[in-house]
Amino acid sequence: MAQIETGGGDGKGKGRQKKMQIHVDFTPMVDMNMLLITFFMLCTTMIKSQTLQISLPTNEKVDQAEQNKVKQSEAITIIVDSDRDEPDGTKPGRVKKNYVYYYEGKPGGEMGIVDNDGNGMLDNNNLKEIEFLGNVNGQAQGIRAILRERNKQVVEKVDKLKEEWRAKKITDEQYQETAKQYRNDSTLKRPTVIIKATAAASYETLVNALDEMQINSISKYQIDNLNASDSALLLDYLKAHPRN
Amino acid sequence: MGRVKIKRKSTLIDMTAMSDVTVLLLTFFMLTSTFLQKEPVIVNTPSSVSEIKVPTSELVTILVDQERRVFISIAGSQDSTWSSERVRKDVLIRAANLYNETHKNKIEFTQQQVNTFAKINMFGYPLASLGEFLDQPQSKQDELVDPSKNPNAGIPIDDNKDLTKPNEFQIWMNAIYNVSRDVMDKDGKTFESAIKKGEGIAIKADKETPYEVVHVVMDNLQTLKMNRFSLMTALKSEEE
Repeated sequence: MAQIETGGGDGKGKGRQKKMQIHVDFTPMVDMNMLLITFFMLCTTMIKSQTLQISLPTNEKVDQAEQNKVKQSEAITIIVDSDRDEPDGTKPGRVKKNYVYYYEGKPGGEMGIVDNDGNGMLDNNNLKEIEFLGNVNGQAQGIRAILRERNKQVVEKVDKLKEEWRAKKITDEQYQETAKQYRNDSTLKRPTVIIKATAAASYETLVNALDEMQINSISKYQIDNLNASDSALLLDYLKAHPRN
Repeated sequence: MGRVKIKRKSTLIDMTAMSDVTVLLLTFFMLTSTFLQKEPVIVNTPSSVSEIKVPTSELVTILVDQERRVFISIAGSQDSTWSSERVRKDVLIRAANLYNETHKNKIEFTQQQVNTFAKINMFGYPLASLGEFLDQPQSKQDELVDPSKNPNAGIPIDDNKDLTKPNEFQIWMNAIYNVSRDVMDKDGKTFESAIKKGEGIAIKADKETPYEVVHVVMDNLQTLKMNRFSLMTALKSEEE
């Protein structure tokens, strides 16, 4: 691969030292390097995964009383569910669509879960269907608009802080620290959100719901199990609004 | 006489510069790369706006597949005294002890088996037959933990709440927690504190995994009083 060209030695200039020009062909070297680069490019993970940190209460039953303390008027219950295909053997069916429902206050409102007129439907089903729409044209939509409205006092303060941070008036740490203070400020009116997921609900919807807590600066939220009245509300809702 | 000589131009291109560039690129990739770890099931994590990065050291990753099969991966400290291998060895020995406390059929691992275990990134196999599993060659092991080839892969888990009779998942997590107390990196940060803060435990599950499956794992962690943990997600950009 290396070529030695002997130039200037046509036999005329005798006694002149022969000039040696060495050409090394680097093409195979480049080929090999390219292969190695391709290998490394394919095998590396450039994007590192992110994490979402959550903390759950202990499983001990002592916190039952604590749970009841949650002021019903300030509570929003979000129920996430997914519509799935028929299960494939032991594998759960593919998710067709994710659904989100919410109700404010107690299940069934002040009346509770009752069917006094006996028509087989609950008299006061306060469950509403909603969607994770995020922001559309800079305006919060769907569940976000509702949570934002309920947590207005905190969100406004955090938004103002964010403006300052964007304008580089405050440092990253200051921003994080103050935002945390606002979120946990008990003098502000803050909602309590209870997130419940049905058995079939996809993990994605749960993460979406947890995400909304972060986006709307809600510090008081918990993940709980579906109870009897929640299931009753959901069943009743599905009876009135069947999924196609 | 007056013939014009057409000079023959050499078609050789000097590849030296090209070679320089490729070597540079190669160095870059070699230095920045962290290899994709082999996992028994491929999961597609949901996306979230959370920007907290997954730590590379002192982390227990709990991978759950859609059919409630659990796999655990342990990463030790960056400090070489508590490398992943050493932590894994300790965890295996501790787990075997815990298993023997509550089971009649005692298990024991040879040094060879412990060494093999330390090299496995993500494990998930019932403890009773783990010894046999570790004696198998690498390719056979990969087959045995692959749920599509072996439906019994994964660490057995149920919704047991009685810690006097822990299930195997609880045994493993307890073993990890016991070992984590000793594991410390250069800055004096212990693995235990990472677990307590919730940075040390990450649950990894597919987008479509039903909540009941993830819930079993969360419930087990709650029973073990590991109430704080992280969920692995991919980054989603949120437009304002």
